[in-house]
Amino acid sequence: MFAGYSYVWLMLLISFTIECGLFIMNTMKKALQFSSRHPMLTFKNVIVRSYAFKSNLKIKWVRPEKIPCFKPEKSGDLDPMPEFDKSRYQLEYANCKELENADPLVKRLFSLEFASRSKITQAYKKDLVDSVKNHTFDENSIEARIARWTGTIRALQEVMENHPRNRRLKVQLKEIIDKRKKYLKFLRTWDYKKFEWLIDNLNIIYKPPPPQFHWITRKDSLRKLTQKYCDDKVNEKLSAYRLQLEAEQPAFLEEKIRTLEFLRQEQKDCGVEITIKQEEIDEAKKSLDELRKKNEKGKSSS
Amino acid sequence: MALQSVKKISLLLGHCVPSVKSQASKIRIKRLELDTNLLMYFRKDDYIYAYDPNKICKTGDIVLVELLAEKLTPLITHKVKEVVYRLGDITDPLTGKKVVVDKFRHQIDAIDDVFGPSPSKFNYDKAPERGWLEDKKDFTHVETYIKYHETGEEQPYAV
Repeated sequence: MFAGYSYVWLMLLISFTIECGLFIMNTMKKALQFSSRHPMLTFKNVIVRSYAFKSNLKIKWVRPEKIPCFKPEKSGDLDPMPEFDKSRYQLEYANCKELENADPLVKRLFSLEFASRSKITQAYKKDLVDSVKNHTFDENSIEARIARWTGTIRALQEVMENHPRNRRLKVQLKEIIDKRKKYLKFLRTWDYKKFEWLIDNLNIIYKPPPPQFHWITRKDSLRKLTQKYCDDKVNEKLSAYRLQLEAEQPAFLEEKIRTLEFLRQEQKDCGVEITIKQEEIDEAKKSLDELRKKNEKGKSSS
Repeated sequence: MALQSVKKISLLLGHCVPSVKSQASKIRIKRLELDTNLLMYFRKDDYIYAYDPNKICKTGDIVLVELLAEKLTPLITHKVKEVVYRLGDITDPLTGKKVVVDKFRHQIDAIDDVFGPSPSKFNYDKAPERGWLEDKKDFTHVETYIKYHETGEEQPYAV
């Protein structure tokens, strides 16, 4: 009796293990079918998990350092505010007739030496506007306004360097930079030649905004770098193949000339209609000469 | 499907957009497409590449492109026939005089002369052709991108 029961149990166990085995086989088969439908999941016949994919390429990504929006690198100003000649009079006394015959000490008092910083900035802005203005009293044309904003931006950038935590100033500066950029964009569509002359005169770099604004992520950057790596690989292989084919060209042309000459001679000897023209052979010879000259040049230059 | 129908038309008017191709220009063709559910037209942009070996069109120009009899490459299907409106350098078709926005250049000059001449004024006759500052200070001919990787080298097209 006992033996009979144990036999049944054994049989059940065996059938269970076989079923389990079959089930596992089936699931594996399904997984393989699935992976063949989605080729990204298999790599050299090994099932690779689809989530949290890790690349085997050793690409090192370095996150670019954040540059604040008010810095000259971002605003595009190539020149900082220059050292100003402080012996000049303040702007409102520049054309004063009384000062011409005044005492040297008085002259010094009315110069920029003892003036506040705003007076220096004022004079700098006036200089910039004068360098681009359209007529004697021009202050409101677009080029004069852009020049004035440029003066303000450069003066404030210097202040920001000394007071980096001044947030009101930062906002003010960013707003002027953006406004200048907007009007440069407009000026380009209104008058391209004037736009170029203006950015050259004021020494500003103009870059258009990118197609989309997005924050920099590790994943996205690595994707781009991988794409770049693959493109470089393809180009490298293509250029190597090109070089190989070019190296074979002279031998091919020599063979071509020899064959054509032989065929032409044969046709002549047999008295058949001559289909191969002399020009064809000359052309092949010419291209061979050119190729040899080019190769020699390349060798001597390298 | 939509692009197929655009590519069959022999003459197209488009807008030049920045591209890195040296022999061709990228042209944006704007059309209106009917949404049959809403019975309304919506804007649809198609991009084509036009053969332009001398790079006569700059970003922003309105150009006329012609269908090539045979494709140059799988990508280049058209060629630039004519630049209709040069960006920022427009000539009035009726009088043949140069225009800045809504005024003639000579009118603006006349007004400036009344106020008094300025030695720093921009001179159109001495100005070089458009595009002399390309890659130096003016980067409108390429599509810029946000800098995502520090290579140690200078990246001029990164913002």
